[in-house]
Amino acid sequence: MTTAQADHASAGPTGAGPILELRGISKTFGGVHALADVDLAIHPGEVVGLVGDNGAGKSTLVKTMSGILRPDGGEIRFKGSRVEMDGPNAAKKLGIQTVYQDLALCDNLDAVQNLFLGRELTGPRFLGSRIKRAESESRAREVLRKLRLDSISLTRPVGAMSGGQRQNIAIARSILWTPEVVLFDEPTAALSHTAAEQVGKLIRQLADDGLGVLVISHDIHQFVVEATDRIVVMRLGRVAAEFRSADVTGEQVVNAMVGGNKGVNSAR
Amino acid sequence: MSTHHSTQSPTATAVATTPDPPADPAATPSPRLTPRRRLAELLAGDLRALPVVAGLTVLVLIFSLQSPFFLSSRNLSNLLVQAVVTGIIALGLVFVLLLGEIDLSVAAISGVCSVLMAKLMAEAGMSSVLAVVVAVVLGAVIGAFTGSWATRFLVPTFVVTLGLGLILNGVQLQLLPRTGRYNLLGTGIEDIAGSYVTGAASWLLVVLAVVVVAGLKLTHHQRKASHGIDSSVVKNVVLPVAVTAVAGVLVVSVLDANAGIPTPVVIFGVLLAITSYILTETRFGLSLYAVGGNAEAALRSGIKVNRVKIAAFALAGGLAALAGIIAASRLLGVSVSSGGGIGGGALLLNAIAAAVIGGVSLFGGRGRASSALLGALIIATVGNGLNLLGVSTDVQLLVTGALLVLAVTVDRSVERLSGSVGR
Repeated sequence: MTTAQADHASAGPTGAGPILELRGISKTFGGVHALADVDLAIHPGEVVGLVGDNGAGKSTLVKTMSGILRPDGGEIRFKGSRVEMDGPNAAKKLGIQTVYQDLALCDNLDAVQNLFLGRELTGPRFLGSRIKRAESESRAREVLRKLRLDSISLTRPVGAMSGGQRQNIAIARSILWTPEVVLFDEPTAALSHTAAEQVGKLIRQLADDGLGVLVISHDIHQFVVEATDRIVVMRLGRVAAEFRSADVTGEQVVNAMVGGNKGVNSAR
Repeated sequence: MSTHHSTQSPTATAVATTPDPPADPAATPSPRLTPRRRLAELLAGDLRALPVVAGLTVLVLIFSLQSPFFLSSRNLSNLLVQAVVTGIIALGLVFVLLLGEIDLSVAAISGVCSVLMAKLMAEAGMSSVLAVVVAVVLGAVIGAFTGSWATRFLVPTFVVTLGLGLILNGVQLQLLPRTGRYNLLGTGIEDIAGSYVTGAASWLLVVLAVVVVAGLKLTHHQRKASHGIDSSVVKNVVLPVAVTAVAGVLVVSVLDANAGIPTPVVIFGVLLAITSYILTETRFGLSLYAVGGNAEAALRSGIKVNRVKIAAFALAGGLAALAGIIAASRLLGVSVSSGGGIGGGALLLNAIAAAVIGGVSLFGGRGRASSALLGALIIATVGNGLNLLGVSTDVQLLVTGALLVLAVTVDRSVERLSGSVGR
């Protein structure tokens, strides 16, 4: 099964080096080793699936990459140089966007207001930082068109929309400020099968546009194997295995998650 | 949030002709709504105020049929002045309620600040203008203190302001002289409630209001047009300007037939306009809605939630102090019962009820500046009308309370049908 292993440190699909790279990352909470010596690389143009049982360290790892948690050891490299992120805004400034599982949308606001939340386009301060609604609306329309989401209303409160539409708005928001890496935490967990498929297409489109994408998902068979290029399996805070998605079945991934087939699928 | 409702048609057709394949129809269905749902969404959005306006109209009809005096220019002028104190406190509460918070100390702030103002003039010989400024600033500082305490120590604002209200009641009693009253006759303060804007000046105010509304609506319309967004001139410019003009002419001709526009009404009008601008046009206003809608999302998107909260409470406090000064001016003095008396009494309850009847959600994230006006008008109309009919206070309380429950029930039903709650 060695052919199924991706040599993760080498070039991605575009032949470039990794855009975001973790080397020997560790993180402890009290006495618990949430992450132990984790290496992970995301290349431009690829979709990496991050899987693992509950408590395997997936969310902690994503929080480290999105600047919410600071690792205790190891280093984070962005475009080849080492970076220190002291908060989520530092990650966003670098170009690392995160789409959270709860979507972090304000249900009472419309799509435009949610897209620009916290970074509104405004006029001069002496007029009270008046929001440039028309300009925001046309930029929102542009981004949604790029993602082929034209049917989403810009003026209805997002609380009145379907789960799929809300997920799409959260994705559109993540790419509004032209990031280079987008991290997804369980993007399909609350969606119907068709809506999940559509989100998968969107994620693929982001990678085709040259972004590096990482997706946490529990949906191994339907989603991870189908929609990603590479699968990283975490177990007990460590990277337990890596696969090329094309060469692996859902059963093999699940086996690696629960610790079966050791030495067959394991990457190290 | 009244201005931005258009788009859909031309952009949608433009998209259909682009070479891009259309969006997957199964995953993102174009909103095909049932008529009932569409009506509910309209009522939850553009037409939010409709049930309240309808209710107010019914009340006015009933009272005008029962009492020939109700629609007289003098009584309507009186009614408006009665609505101002409640309305200004309610306006301040809108900022706080939008966050999903509450301020139970606003009535006490209005009381203690008006008493301090009177004391500064009576015992320190301070000029009336300076005393007013000090009182309003003090109100804002007390509000900012509430916001800071609640955010610093994570104490619910319900509790902080409940306690603070009692503390301020105590301070108010300590500030008052042994007679329990400061007289404001001859201080100039009585002129606030006792003066009128009349004749040419009153019509100038109407023109000013129309110009401001036209300016705002026109810039919106032009900007939309320049960004290729569909915007109907009739709906987005002509209609709001016409409504403002007609309402202005109507109000001013009625009031001028009496003595002119009472100064408190002018003050309330200006405050309403400023609040409306803040809530619908500015980044701070949007932050209030965002925090009230999903505080965690607002925080993660970089909004400084604590600062927004402190600012909202400061505004509520400052407006409450101003309302207290106007009340003192009407009553020509301050006393134990300024600020609704101990515990805020009917003043506090009416101010909260006004905001809520007017359409502000107690759960945060929804409401407008005009909610304070509509709610205060309804409460003042019930009080004024029942007074004219010689109905006693007990029935007034019954009616106001029933209206409050009815208004919120209608509001929740609309929300449920429009799908914007229950998620």
